[in-house]
Amino acid sequence: MYQLLPSDYQGQEINRLTLAYFVISGLHMLGAADRVDREGAINWVLSLQAHAKNEFDLNNGQFYGFLGSRSSQFQLDDNGAWIPNGSHLASTYCALAILKTVGYDLTLLDSESILKSMKNLQQSDGSFMPIHTGAERDLRFIFCAAAICSMLENWSGMDKEKAKEYILSCQSYDGGFGLIPGSESHGGGTYCAVASLRLMGFIEHDVLSKGASSCIINVPLLLDWSLQRQAIDGGFQGRPNKASDTCYAFWVGSVLRILGGNKFIDEKALRQFLLTCQSKYGGFSKFPGQLPDLYHTYYGFSAFSLLQEPGITPICVELGITDVDAIGL
Amino acid sequence: MHGRPRKPPTPEEEKAYDAKAAKLRSLQTQFLHFHHNQIYTKEALEVCAKLVESNPEYITAWNYRKLAVEHIVSSHSESDLESDPDCIKSIFKEELRVTERALAKNYKSYGAWYHRKWVLRKGHSSIDRELQLLQVFLKQDTRNFHAWNYRRFVAALKNRSDEEELQFTTDMINDNFSNYSAWHNRSVLLSHLLEKKVDGYFPKEKVLTEENDLVHQALFTDPDDQSGWFYHHWLLDQIVKIKTPLLVYTWPPHGSNLEVWVDGCLDVEGVNSSTITIESSMHDTNKDLVWKPLSTNNSGRAQAWVTHLSFLEEKLHFSQANPIKVTMGHSEGIKAVSDMISWGDKKFHSYEARPMESSQINFSNPLKNSDDNDLMAYKWNAETVANEISLFRELLSETDCKIGKLTLARLLTALDAMILYNKTSDSNEVVHFEEVLELYSDLMKVDPPHSQFYKDEYSLVLLQQLTSTPESLLRHCYHYRDSSPSSINSYICLRLCNLSLSRIGSIEQLLWIQMLDLSHNHLHSVEGLEAMQLLSCLNLSNNKIGSFSALEPLKLLKSLKALNISYNEFGAHSVDTRRYSCSSPLNHTVGADWNFGDWNPIDGIDFTNCWEAFSIFKDLKLTQLEIIGNVIAEENFKLFLVKVMPSLKWLDGVELQ
Repeated sequence: MYQLLPSDYQGQEINRLTLAYFVISGLHMLGAADRVDREGAINWVLSLQAHAKNEFDLNNGQFYGFLGSRSSQFQLDDNGAWIPNGSHLASTYCALAILKTVGYDLTLLDSESILKSMKNLQQSDGSFMPIHTGAERDLRFIFCAAAICSMLENWSGMDKEKAKEYILSCQSYDGGFGLIPGSESHGGGTYCAVASLRLMGFIEHDVLSKGASSCIINVPLLLDWSLQRQAIDGGFQGRPNKASDTCYAFWVGSVLRILGGNKFIDEKALRQFLLTCQSKYGGFSKFPGQLPDLYHTYYGFSAFSLLQEPGITPICVELGITDVDAIGL
Repeated sequence: MHGRPRKPPTPEEEKAYDAKAAKLRSLQTQFLHFHHNQIYTKEALEVCAKLVESNPEYITAWNYRKLAVEHIVSSHSESDLESDPDCIKSIFKEELRVTERALAKNYKSYGAWYHRKWVLRKGHSSIDRELQLLQVFLKQDTRNFHAWNYRRFVAALKNRSDEEELQFTTDMINDNFSNYSAWHNRSVLLSHLLEKKVDGYFPKEKVLTEENDLVHQALFTDPDDQSGWFYHHWLLDQIVKIKTPLLVYTWPPHGSNLEVWVDGCLDVEGVNSSTITIESSMHDTNKDLVWKPLSTNNSGRAQAWVTHLSFLEEKLHFSQANPIKVTMGHSEGIKAVSDMISWGDKKFHSYEARPMESSQINFSNPLKNSDDNDLMAYKWNAETVANEISLFRELLSETDCKIGKLTLARLLTALDAMILYNKTSDSNEVVHFEEVLELYSDLMKVDPPHSQFYKDEYSLVLLQQLTSTPESLLRHCYHYRDSSPSSINSYICLRLCNLSLSRIGSIEQLLWIQMLDLSHNHLHSVEGLEAMQLLSCLNLSNNKIGSFSALEPLKLLKSLKALNISYNEFGAHSVDTRRYSCSSPLNHTVGADWNFGDWNPIDGIDFTNCWEAFSIFKDLKLTQLEIIGNVIAEENFKLFLVKVMPSLKWLDGVELQ
């Protein structure tokens, strides 16, 4: 996979780091860390890091993080820099998540240049662009930035207050969060919002039993919306009146876990739904009875981890990696 | 890939996949060659177009196109532009064509939608076609949130009015009542229109009545569809939300504390000696008053605020009432935080502090609303809610619908709240506690997965009922007299035991309580108790509290001396214990400044494993604690508690040396 993707995944060539994250973190969740070639993974991930050629370049507006794959990596020019540099926030998040998962000491990384240049991606409204050449800005990339700062244990890479304001402006009238202000509430957007606020320390764990009314977001409405996402078939949907989908058992389930509302889930029904999405080869699909894929398989495992399935390692929901690896025990 | 039905592919299909992948790979290789060498020829752009049209998710190619377009545009000289003034336009036109084809392949592609926005922002293209194109996409999938976002973008670019866009949502809703996305967009647009008081959208009463009629059609057509219910909930909120937060409860204590309780579920900030005036015969200056928010986070906002008055001894008259008057003066400084409404200029509540010996139960009456405008608004609100109530009673008589029951319960609660806050002495409107309680118990039965949720609501309503009149509250009050003759304390104890409470509420009625018994309930949280600043004895035994951090509000109770948390679930949740008893880098608020080095190690106790308990108990000045009957309460842990709280005299009924 480091060299060539199976043909079904060829379309996702540029997201190779993300696919690798699903595989490696997934194996750790299953307690099969020994099946990962640790050295190989570390070297491969590190080789995708973009480096600025000098201190001065860190202020040139470019982002020096990780590239999604070899194909977006360019030849070094005479000065030892890649032009153009396609570092992406999501790839950087996945790279760090892999490194943290396999127990690489992140202090060995040149985190200063990641954080310093990442600041260039934050906009005046608090949102983040994923790549310095410009692309859509939404909650997904605030989450990536918050997770990056959290894993590097250094918050100099972003203005937390501004990011908070942007997130708060995304809470919709029904309590959920849309990906951008004014957009419809969405399970993924809501996860990004709540997990980011948690990572940045603006909300506490289990606010429901600590201080829902003095919380900066409207918790009762959000709880109501999140609980209603569990559909009649037991699975979770991303938005009202949509079909249940494996991955939202994680996205919405994590929101409920962070709020302390997971006790309201019908766990038995959810388990049953998830099992109908599992293929006989072991992976999970989006909907029941379809072919499995890496993305839904990873979030299927994660959902089972939230359900405290024996044999699956607990996860740190706000970072999306296993708990033990998140704390670094 | 995903979304493909689960059946083994035929050899032909297998071949087709492989061929497709090979084709994609070869396109990628060609494209990357151009990209790496910064080749922006026509041929190169065509390869790139083929690539994004077959795989719109290939963001690198979209990035390349942006570089290419900028390169080509900047390479056009002045003379080129003169000979062919439309050449720039045609470049962007081509980009629109490519994105359109990519979107036809995958209308969920973030990259393609963004590229289209990027092109339009450049301002060289006509935007007339965009709404037409959107019709096509929204027809294909009426919930496509990319298309809805794009519609908002185009509407802003075209300067379309909110009214026009609102009409569009009306059309979409009339087409299909279950279109949640359309309801959502409607709420966004209508909020703007109401806020700006646009012609035809003022007064809001008229608009909200029409909206209610529209949403009723949806609800009655399919009561099990959530789309209308969420919108209805939002409308209801527009009707019952208190526009100007009122100062409705103050509680002066036995001569030293004065508390102010703020109405509604809004937090406020900016309470200080210049925004609140206090007049009393014993204390006539405000200058040295420090107001503190009662909040467990450091946000500077809270529902309850407290200040301490120091009385001049010679002015204190023990035998008679000492009046204290609390006024909200220069109110610009006080802000309701959740929706940023500044406070109206209201005079409030004067109160008579009673002599210290008094054992009479004080019952604070909420402030009566006297303003005529407010009264008018109240009448309309109450009537609207009453109409809604009869409508939903009718609906529920025909169909058994969970969300309908929940809505009816909320409507009744809202009406009760309005009645209680606005009650005039001669009004004898009925309150509906019994009916609401019945609805929630019913919901617990028919919707077991969410029973905990309903139970919390049930508890809040039950407490409202218990505290709604002095008579009902008195039924739960008891005198507690210390047996030792030296003590002159005679507490009134409020006993709310065995009520299956899972939450605490209506604290504003209970600010004066010094002794509270909440044992034998189902509490998992003590949120709200922080407002009871006089509380000195608290019994929480036989509840379901599982983590020490849930006791956080107690840290704000400066008078708390005796605490009973026996027979709870501290330490019982093995899965969470490891996770949350580890001092983790994820925790930002506590722990960074503690030095466990001063403590370690005594008799083999590792304090680093007790940080959660430490963070609570280090700030409590208890003299008495009961903790027996919890998994965590073994001997070592007790030693730890004694160490953390030097003030402790009794632990689990045993006098300490």
